[in-house]
Amino acid sequence: MSFLSRLAVKSSGFSCIRRMSVYPQHYAEPVVQKNKQIEQKSELAKLHHVPIKAAVNKASDTVFHDDTKEKMVNYITKKGNSALARSLLSKTMELIKRTQTEHMNLAKGDDKDKINTNAETLLKQAVENCRPLLQVTAIKRGGVNYQVPVPITTKRSYFLAMKWLLEAAREKERKVSLPEKLAWEILDAAHGQGRVVKRKDDLHRQCESNRAYAHYRWS
Amino acid sequence: MKMIRNRFGNLSRVSVQLQRHVQQMATSAAVAPAEGATINEFRTAVANPGEHSALQLAKFYTIPAEQKKQIFTGGGLPKQYELQIKTFTEACLMVRNPALELLEYIKGADLTKPVVRYVLYGENGTGKTLTMAHVLHYGALNDFLLVHVPWAPNWMKRPKEASNAAGQEGMIDLPFDAAAWLVHFKNQNGKLLQRLQLKTGKEYVWSKRESTPAGSPLLELVEHGIARIKYASETTAALISELKQLSTAGQCKVMVAIDGFNAFFHPITRIFSDNKQRVTPDRITLTQPFLDITNYDWTNGVCILSVDKIAMTEGYMDSYMPRYLLGQAGFEHLDPFVPVHVDNYTDKEFHSYINYYLDRHWINKTPQGFEEQLKFMSNKNPYSLMQLVRAL
Repeated sequence: MSFLSRLAVKSSGFSCIRRMSVYPQHYAEPVVQKNKQIEQKSELAKLHHVPIKAAVNKASDTVFHDDTKEKMVNYITKKGNSALARSLLSKTMELIKRTQTEHMNLAKGDDKDKINTNAETLLKQAVENCRPLLQVTAIKRGGVNYQVPVPITTKRSYFLAMKWLLEAAREKERKVSLPEKLAWEILDAAHGQGRVVKRKDDLHRQCESNRAYAHYRWS
Repeated sequence: MKMIRNRFGNLSRVSVQLQRHVQQMATSAAVAPAEGATINEFRTAVANPGEHSALQLAKFYTIPAEQKKQIFTGGGLPKQYELQIKTFTEACLMVRNPALELLEYIKGADLTKPVVRYVLYGENGTGKTLTMAHVLHYGALNDFLLVHVPWAPNWMKRPKEASNAAGQEGMIDLPFDAAAWLVHFKNQNGKLLQRLQLKTGKEYVWSKRESTPAGSPLLELVEHGIARIKYASETTAALISELKQLSTAGQCKVMVAIDGFNAFFHPITRIFSDNKQRVTPDRITLTQPFLDITNYDWTNGVCILSVDKIAMTEGYMDSYMPRYLLGQAGFEHLDPFVPVHVDNYTDKEFHSYINYYLDRHWINKTPQGFEEQLKFMSNKNPYSLMQLVRAL
């Protein structure tokens, strides 16, 4: 480990910042999924002579794998018990699918096709709907703390969306299980309603009303 | 959009919705056959198990809602399967080899000879209970009186209440479980009992003031047991001995179906006696009648029993073979019997099941080779398959 990191420092030229990564900077990220390999064939061809990082342990190319789901499992995990988190999420997926499938099978005619029974796309839709564009940070100017709207990265917006979904799901009575509540929140959010979407809208509204402070970000 | 919002407004509303769905299901299932006239290659329109043959192998048939209600209200289908039925809004069973084999035996059996015992055995989650459900459906349609115990280990593992039996020294009564079984019996056979007009052969005296005279209808006996829960266990014993005599006399046909039969021969139960000792199953009053009816000293009936690993407790679950699960005493009690092995899906059955899931929109992800993956992961075991596809 330490040998590799020393190597990393050496290979990154004259910079004296020690990085946390075991890999030197020029190592490429692995692409595990087969369909992605086919998609990015031309780009990947450039990597013929570039060293590639080893794939992580849990990476897989099965029907069960999905990037959003994998991320969500990471956020649900407490104390490293990811097996439990995984089972909770799959239970959530089952509950979502169960409600949707039942509605679909009971529906007649045109309504039938309108109902989405794919829990994964519903989860993705929910996360998309909950993503914020801006957030506010406290900046001190002249002894006063101002709530200044700042733009956020895509990655952080995804993080916030999933975190909020989870927070909403964890705010429940003890009798209700997490999968039950999470399924309900995801279904709500996927249809553009519910507490999480409202939370995002509230944040946007606050940013809008504090737009006058925006220049404090750089001045 | 608004409709869906309302649906998930709050939890209490969700539960109300669910109740409403149950009602809707009851009404919609009644009209289902007319609507679902399209028969796919994995479905069959033959809804009578008596007509099933190798032609219908690996195909799904639908149990009409009324019959399902009559036969399986008190149990008989696994809980998770009930959930699937509710989600898919239809009660479908797959025609599989063990059930066909069993039906063939039953159809060809000479009922004037002593009863034949069939023992279903197999790994966990291969479909022993559902095979039994298929045969039960056949029995209900062919005027068999059903003596059906949905899951015998419930009595040994989690009884509602245990009390000392009044008449017999050192015996334990399970009054609530016995009464629940009587209700189940009445649900399944109420109509047939009324039609057959069966009478009791002798007088039963329950206490100083209560008795059931000889020649009273069998239904009255059952209702007495349900109304006077204290005597439910004794009533069960009386009912079963009556049934044996009546069927031997040729007045009725009886189909005995006991799921998890080996629980009666488990070394120990979870019930405590007065001196804080765990009792053995033979000291429970309910055990005796059901061991009695699985004996071969009567005619005009069939016995379908299943032996199951999960009917046992830890330390006794090493093998699924009948000899191991029943033990010496149980094996000798049943010997000779016809073993029926319930195995994992065949390739054809597996493919058919995947098609069914796809048809019901239960599998939404179909990348190339997903079927192969599922086959490999589940080892074609029905239960594991159900578990694997639940999040897909």
